[in-house]
Amino acid sequence: MTGVTVPVARPVVTGLGVLSACGHGLEPLTQATAHGTAAFAAVTRFDVTGRRVRRAALLPDAPPLAEAVLTAIGDACRQAAHDTWTTRPGAADDSAAPLLLALHSDLGTAGVAARIADGARRQWGIPAVTRVYTGACVAAGTAVADAAALIASGRHARVLVAAGHLVAAGVYAAFDAGRALARDGEVRPFSAGRSGTLLGDAAVAVVLESEAEAERRGAPVLARISGWGRSGDAYHVCRPVPDGAGLARAIASALQRGGVAPDQVGYVNANATGSPLADQAEANALRRVFGDHADRLPVSSTKGVHGHALEASALLELAVTIAALRSGTLPVNAGWTSRDEDCRLDLVLDRPRPTRPRYALTVNSAFGGANTALLVAA
Amino acid sequence: MPPPPPRVLARAHWPESADDGLPPLAGFTASTFNPLVAEAAERCLRAHYGPAPGPGPSRTALLLTSGSGDRATAAAIDAAAASPQRVPPLLFFQSNPNAVLGHLAARWQLTGPVLATSPTTPAAPGEVPADALELAELLLADGDADQVLLIAAEQADRTAGPDRTDRAVALLLTLG
Repeated sequence: MTGVTVPVARPVVTGLGVLSACGHGLEPLTQATAHGTAAFAAVTRFDVTGRRVRRAALLPDAPPLAEAVLTAIGDACRQAAHDTWTTRPGAADDSAAPLLLALHSDLGTAGVAARIADGARRQWGIPAVTRVYTGACVAAGTAVADAAALIASGRHARVLVAAGHLVAAGVYAAFDAGRALARDGEVRPFSAGRSGTLLGDAAVAVVLESEAEAERRGAPVLARISGWGRSGDAYHVCRPVPDGAGLARAIASALQRGGVAPDQVGYVNANATGSPLADQAEANALRRVFGDHADRLPVSSTKGVHGHALEASALLELAVTIAALRSGTLPVNAGWTSRDEDCRLDLVLDRPRPTRPRYALTVNSAFGGANTALLVAA
Repeated sequence: MPPPPPRVLARAHWPESADDGLPPLAGFTASTFNPLVAEAAERCLRAHYGPAPGPGPSRTALLLTSGSGDRATAAAIDAAAASPQRVPPLLFFQSNPNAVLGHLAARWQLTGPVLATSPTTPAAPGEVPADALELAELLLADGDADQVLLIAAEQADRTAGPDRTDRAVALLLTLG
């Protein structure tokens, strides 16, 4: 990365709401990921007759997508003690604080965004949805990076980021047709014998604000977004560059923004989806950035618990990463069965690892060679 | 003081005339959306660099913004999912708006961030949404890219009439 500007404000997280197949709230997600309790079950939401794979991680009695995202937004705003999003006496003049959404792009996207905008305005005084990020598995990670940039540059004191993905028949059928789903019905990140991913539900929202604004309001800080990076592989329509160079550049950018050396990072929440090619490329990226430190850098992908939430995955995994930093318990890389020599990492296996790293990374990659990295501090 | 608006290095449109053709894009089927994005982007990059692959790797971000999205691919997937037939495998990756950006990035060696957005306030036909220009400016100012290839593409809703026309505009932007 070049041309780094000196930040005028430091972005912090003051509110977090999450619904996942593990349950409503951060605590059930924290417990399930810490112990590697997979949430996959037979798909009953729609007809999967004729599909090769018939499992996913689904919210029980899932509400409509807009309602699920609004529930997460409500939880995040309440935790951040934002009774209303409009300008308060003495607060920074930021009544147009952005709401950045991440959703799947399909024929229903505009309608879902409109319903979220309507609910957010009526319930929380949030003026509008600024834009919808539709960039697949990095959509929410890009939104968080952009939100952090908006705060760090002084453009806004507060930004709300929300994302939602509920497993639906069309996307499920497309993943099944593309042979992207795990034939054995389990997600096995970085493991020998991995055969693909499984989809999962998630609705997540985070309130980001400047540290000064949080201090002024007396709002508790859940975590700091110390750095962020985005990059592209320039390699292929859907395959990652095998040497991991693209993801490595996103991680390096995040570390440089944070002024953090690689050996100061104490945990990586990996993107690994259970894909044979992509997991290997990600392991190579981590080796490129961390060198020998990778031998003792705890890594886990938690998709073996909550599944792949596509456009919402980066925000779901940011929630998992924040929970790990706050609890001092690093989550298990669930689904792993045996070592793949091409994915030599210090994986958190069998049981949660008690440690309190100062910095953690959460990374995501997507089709088109898109990569994001978020550096999170306790 | 707010940063200056990005400087336009090159600009291209599709269509340029009433009989403008849209070249097929290998590996992408059943929809004009990805060929539309690719052709507008190719014209813009050629206008600045000449033939692909251009001068070599550049930290150019790709930002695709579309209110319509890929209507035809989405409809094809929904139709296939609702029937006993299998979804054609090629639709799996082309249903993802990043895929065509990966094609362009590989062909032109563009190593910057890859983004896809949908604006909540649409632009006039053939214009770029203001929100996308703001995002391009943020990306440039934030330092992960030296240039942004911004493509605004709208696929016509042909269920509303056969004479509707797809439109795309591409801008190559740098810091002002």
